[in-house]
Amino acid sequence: MACPVSALVVFCHPVAESFSAAIRDRVMATLDRAGVNVTLSDLYADGFQPLLGREERLAHLDQGHRPPDLEPQFRALADARLVVFVFPTWWYGPPAMLKGWLDRVLRAGIAFRLPAGANRIEPMLTQVRQIVVVTTYGSPWWLIRFVGDAGRRMIARGMQLLCPGARRPVWLGLYGMDTATDDDRRRFLDRVERRIARIARRLQRAG
Amino acid sequence: MKVHLVYAHPLPDSFAGAALARVRGALEAAGHTVDVLDLYAEGFDPRLSPEERRIYHDVPANRAPVADYVARLQSADALVLVFPAWNFGPPAILKGWFDRVLLPGVSFDIVDGRIRPALTNITRFAVVTSYGQQGWVVRWVIGNPLRKQLLRAMRWCMNRRVRTLWLPFYNMNTADQARCKRFLARLDRTFRRF
Repeated sequence: MACPVSALVVFCHPVAESFSAAIRDRVMATLDRAGVNVTLSDLYADGFQPLLGREERLAHLDQGHRPPDLEPQFRALADARLVVFVFPTWWYGPPAMLKGWLDRVLRAGIAFRLPAGANRIEPMLTQVRQIVVVTTYGSPWWLIRFVGDAGRRMIARGMQLLCPGARRPVWLGLYGMDTATDDDRRRFLDRVERRIARIARRLQRAG
Repeated sequence: MKVHLVYAHPLPDSFAGAALARVRGALEAAGHTVDVLDLYAEGFDPRLSPEERRIYHDVPANRAPVADYVARLQSADALVLVFPAWNFGPPAILKGWFDRVLLPGVSFDIVDGRIRPALTNITRFAVVTSYGQQGWVVRWVIGNPLRKQLLRAMRWCMNRRVRTLWLPFYNMNTADQARCKRFLARLDRTFRRF
């Protein structure tokens, strides 16, 4: 086997016994079994601070500014060929906690640079080969489609712009969570496992 | 009219801060009462807690942790949001206000198994935001998620006859003074007639 592939799993749910936590466990187990070198960022459990504050805003285009509490995130992201997000969709987007991760971690000097006078950023997450999102929606898919699935556009299109070497993002959604049965949830976990295992194999083959 | 103005930016001397001052001034000049919720200045915590998640669907107990924010929203006739778009979405602190304050029983009710709007007190809804990117990138590459989230989903929760205003400022990364000034003057004109 070639050198092991590294992955970052960003997980966001406040309740330890939630279905999202079951998804996280399945994702982690699948990646472990595939021999992927995984780092987990469990935002609630790790006490992640989601607010982009004064200092950071003043330095938001300063590529040398690295808030110390974000170093573990920066390190994990720098090696990650695979980035997996696991979260519940609330108000058509990621929870505030995860939105704070996007706001703070995807910063200048890490995820992009903005050359002086330019109006287009240059992406820097060139090592990322694949973004995967696993999320649950309370609403049925047609309502999400109608409202425009804001979270999907933010991550699958917005963050994707920062990862020029990545394939099209893989989006695995469990819709209508409010009326889902145990069977629906089991089937969804199996689907997540199959898909993640396949992606891990592909990334390893690519070396 | 009573206007609830929700503002999300950590720096008072930012462009968003200038927009806030202009909007507030124009509304007051037009004789409206303005209740500014400055999320950063008031130390709003955007994280929905484990306990809040457990009681999320439990109306009306679910609003107890944010009762004051709910009361301010419910006593208003109009809602105005002023914030920069980060990653094509609301800053985390504003997303947290959606997550924690726009609860079942506050933004919508379930009556006889059917979902009904609950923010029917809101008859005017305006969004003032700014993007680093050009308008065509936001619209055609990204698909304008913020506008959809607010003007479709959030608007649905409001009064059936609610009037909405979408006031985006694009291409912030290369904006010069003159363009900023023109936008602020436009805000002034718009909100004097709000």
